Amino acid sequence: MDSSDAREHLEMVERIVAASSRKLEVSGEFFLVWGLASGTLDLIFQLVNDGRLPLATVWAGPLLIVAAVLYTAVRVRRFRAMPGARMTLLEREFLNVLWIALAMAFAVNLVGGHIFSQWAQAAIWSVAAAIALFYIAVHGNRRALVGGIVLLLSIAFANFSVPIAGYVLAGGMYLGYAGFGLADMLARE
Amino acid sequence: MDDLLLSKIRLSVVAELLNVQWVSFTDLARAIETTNGNLGAHLAKLVDAGYIAEEKTYAGRRPLSRYSLTETGRAAFVAHVRQLEALLSAAPEGNRS
Repeated sequence: MDSSDAREHLEMVERIVAASSRKLEVSGEFFLVWGLASGTLDLIFQLVNDGRLPLATVWAGPLLIVAAVLYTAVRVRRFRAMPGARMTLLEREFLNVLWIALAMAFAVNLVGGHIFSQWAQAAIWSVAAAIALFYIAVHGNRRALVGGIVLLLSIAFANFSVPIAGYVLAGGMYLGYAGFGLADMLARE
Repeated sequence: MDDLLLSKIRLSVVAELLNVQWVSFTDLARAIETTNGNLGAHLAKLVDAGYIAEEKTYAGRRPLSRYSLTETGRAAFVAHVRQLEALLSAAPEGNRS
């Protein structure tokens, strides 16, 4: 191989690597679905707390989460089966962050029931959601930054309005998380 | 130089896999712009050398092959690119641009 071949090969490698080193792209529909499910969960707990819904309604919460999980599983399965589908290392790293944040929130909710009150447990999910959005934000997505800030603000507001904390946290999830998902989907169209 | 990566198609395959977790056969064929048969032969050599890993799944009833870069492949790619750069920098000034 001479220097001209070496240059040609290096330029080809640079072109390919530049094309594949794209920014982190996430699918807004997952944030929309999970934001709506989580927000509705907070809303149901608040409405039951206020006596506006019967106690049995709280069972709708886990059903919502199961529905969101099933939806996610089906969509991911379909995506992976697409012939043109590819997953970048950055996307894999984001999925790891998302998975760790959600698993930690779930674990804390499971084992910390006596030290975290009902609204604290709901707020932990908002923190996990904010972590995911801020991770996307540091890769240049301003909508995710706004969504993360909305989630943090909802926690701050809920802290000073405990009687309606569920409404406030639900609003944070709807606006910050689901809102980010919807905005991202609209921006792609 | 890595003999296996002297082929432009095999080097392209490894470069395509560098920043991704996995890529399907169809997507690789589209990106590299070669025939399925030719790509399949090159992929087999890379798999045999342990540079890439092959995973066979099904999309419905349709078989789907996808590929990822192994640590061996990544290390070989880095070493090969360094050698290409060394060759280029050692070339006389007039031959570089």
